[in-house]
Amino acid sequence: MVSMNAVLLISFLLWSVGVAGVLIRRNALVILMCVELMLNAANLNLIAFARQAGTVNGQAFALLVMGFAAAEVAVGLALVVALYRKKGNIQVDEINLLKG
Amino acid sequence: MEQLLASLGQNLFVLFGLLAVGAAGVMIFTKSAVHSVIGFLFSMLCVAGCFLALQAEFLGVAQLLVYAGGIVVLFLFVVMLVELTKYQEKGIFQTQAKFAVPLVGAGVLAFAGVFRGILFGPNAGQALVLKLGLEGATEHLGNAQAVSRGLFADFLLPFEILSVILLVALIGAIVLAKSERV
Repeated sequence: MVSMNAVLLISFLLWSVGVAGVLIRRNALVILMCVELMLNAANLNLIAFARQAGTVNGQAFALLVMGFAAAEVAVGLALVVALYRKKGNIQVDEINLLKG
Repeated sequence: MEQLLASLGQNLFVLFGLLAVGAAGVMIFTKSAVHSVIGFLFSMLCVAGCFLALQAEFLGVAQLLVYAGGIVVLFLFVVMLVELTKYQEKGIFQTQAKFAVPLVGAGVLAFAGVFRGILFGPNAGQALVLKLGLEGATEHLGNAQAVSRGLFADFLLPFEILSVILLVALIGAIVLAKSERV
């Protein structure tokens, strides 16, 4: 038996660590990992609320979110590799092609 | 014994959750990209432990397979592919990090205030406790069967859309990452 407060607290902490990582890091790879972390915090909430409501639909939807995260990571990593080919680095503050 | 088992689930969940948060902290504050990936791997393993503590066994195993088996390996490949050493001396944090960290900290504190007021304040409701059994699930129906029933009965259209999204992502990743002279 897990109380809902613990789930909400842990998932909030995970999500805020992910937000902090997206905001402060310069490395595009770490930013992608932080996005994954935020998706996982959302998954935790989905499962907990499904368990609280007594259905499995939240778990099924969390599985869909997991597949979506895999697709997102594939495209994101391909973008990182393409950026590295083009610019020679993947530091996001040096990617300013549209700045003029 | 019942009491012990009931508190054991809660304690395991909190333990795995705090480990996941700690590993995520290591992930965003460490310097080397490989260490970041290892922190990410550990964090995902701990989240899988949280799923198991929430009695979502199938999702826990799926988390292990998808994240520890697939996504971490992808990240490691890209870390090996991309040469980062000459940018290490410029620092790992953005220039706006000194504003972003207090901002996120203030957000966390504000949310903690709201959280505390709602959950532990004078008019706090009864704390929600997660149910053990599932609606409509009988004894012989395991977690995987129950999840698949939800997935293929109620979420059939999102499931099909997800398959198309995965196909598009596959083609898009190949097009984006292939070298231009081929």
